[in-house]
Amino acid sequence: MTNINTAVKIGKLTLRNPIVTGSGTFGFGPEMANIVDLNKLGAVVVKSTSREPRLGNPTPRIVETPSGILNAIGLQNSGVDNFIAEKLPFLRNYDVPIIVNLVGTEVADYVHLAEKLTAAGGVHGLEINISCPNVSHGCDFAVDPALTAELIREVRKVTDLTLITKLSPNVTDMVPIARAAVDAGSDALSLINTLIGTAIDVRKRKFRLANITGGLSGPAVKPIALRCVWQVHRALPNVPLIGMGGIMSATDAIEFLLAGATAIAIGTATFVNPTASTDIAAGLEAYLIENGIADVNELIGAVTQ
Amino acid sequence: MPHQVFARVLSNDPIIAGHQVITCEAPTLAAEAQPGHFVNVLTAERYDPLLRKPFSVYTVDRDRGQISLLYSIVGATTASMSRKRPGEMLDMVGPLGGRIFQADTRPDTTHIMVGGGYGVPPLVFLSRELRLAQSAPNIKFIIGARRKDLLLCEAELVAAGVDARVATEDGSHGTSGRVTDVLEPLLLENSGLPVAVYCCGPTPMMKAVAELCLKLGVTCQLSVEVAMPCGIGVCMGCVLDLTDGRRVRCCVDGPVFEAGEVKW
Repeated sequence: MTNINTAVKIGKLTLRNPIVTGSGTFGFGPEMANIVDLNKLGAVVVKSTSREPRLGNPTPRIVETPSGILNAIGLQNSGVDNFIAEKLPFLRNYDVPIIVNLVGTEVADYVHLAEKLTAAGGVHGLEINISCPNVSHGCDFAVDPALTAELIREVRKVTDLTLITKLSPNVTDMVPIARAAVDAGSDALSLINTLIGTAIDVRKRKFRLANITGGLSGPAVKPIALRCVWQVHRALPNVPLIGMGGIMSATDAIEFLLAGATAIAIGTATFVNPTASTDIAAGLEAYLIENGIADVNELIGAVTQ
Repeated sequence: MPHQVFARVLSNDPIIAGHQVITCEAPTLAAEAQPGHFVNVLTAERYDPLLRKPFSVYTVDRDRGQISLLYSIVGATTASMSRKRPGEMLDMVGPLGGRIFQADTRPDTTHIMVGGGYGVPPLVFLSRELRLAQSAPNIKFIIGARRKDLLLCEAELVAAGVDARVATEDGSHGTSGRVTDVLEPLLLENSGLPVAVYCCGPTPMMKAVAELCLKLGVTCQLSVEVAMPCGIGVCMGCVLDLTDGRRVRCCVDGPVFEAGEVKW
């Protein structure tokens, strides 16, 4: 059975399958290209890119907690000019949509990044990171619908690329922020970013992360992420969602599709199994074939009580 | 090229208290692994602990397609590893590491291995490879341990004809003191001659060896140990600051660095 459809649409983008990489877990592409065939992915979402290079936070930056990790990398990257000059030419060799995750502290930073990346050519989508928990002001946009709307409106003015807003779960209710982002011109939403947490070494009586707090990811957060996707999908059923949070297997990915995600990002799983993203894409296709499902889109939001 | 291998365990035996050698059938890893490479091992089936743990390669048998890891039982992953019986499978990703040990190619070089604790195994691998590549390499091996009963690999090095010297902190075997107490006179003895030091062990030991080598103008390669969550260069968790101002990833930009490069 080869006539099954695995393709999904996110804004203007057609993804050959719903599996994309989670920003910050797949480098900029070259790091993974020896391990994973990028052309077997729905899209590649590269690491956060900022206006100026960033060295990130001091170490320790990642610690393990039960079935999860806390990270406080601090958005280490070489800056947008380096990305365009050094990383993008490599990515242009692949037949896969490239989505760049943007991060900044002011609206002007995001506008600058969106302009540059749109003009560069070879970038297909922008994921607006308004929710990094590990930098000062990183969460300001994500907790306020009005600020989110202003940011997305300004970015929308300078780009015709598919815009995806990445939402934080560290809020009382994600729905008003999701709605504000969409009303301001966001084509799609990514959720969830990591959950803020911490861990303490009782022997040393010290925080285990140099940054004190970090973002929790991995299987420990999956039930929360799934609930968030379902809540936002129920409120905004026509908005494509990229669901993420602790997805380790094709079964996990299918849960997110059923909850209402159109695409699925594989993040922390790549740290454990470098080929997790393409393994899950293959597993999802096998599931469709085994169950006689002609189109993966039939699964989206198909959960019942 | 890093790849995942489910390798059949052939043997898994204690060597000294709390330390075992696990040997697995892994022809691709055996063919590709070089001294300084490591493999990432996963033992948990339900995500706890979630991350793989890195192990330097101890030996390979390329003819038989076997790879061995010498490990100290310190946490959940190594405890699970220690219970693996022959016939069971071990989940590994490897070979990992971007920059590995480079044997010094100057003629008549004295190669000095300085290993402490589970830093010894990758240097045993390097010594073996040197002996395979050269007819009679001049190798001196310095093994450090807190006590005699924690010494690793001395007997096998002696059996292989390697000049192995020992330093124990409590003086229970060999020189009483630290590896640098053995290394310094050896370096002074070879002053003016081509000497290369290769070092792997606990950070304070490597720092002391690096400082001594820098002081005496001897080249020194260090296999740096920091926590490496992914091992493939994408998590940015294992970064290390270098003296030239760069912040690099230990896993793929190392783990082997020159003594003068590392900012301790």
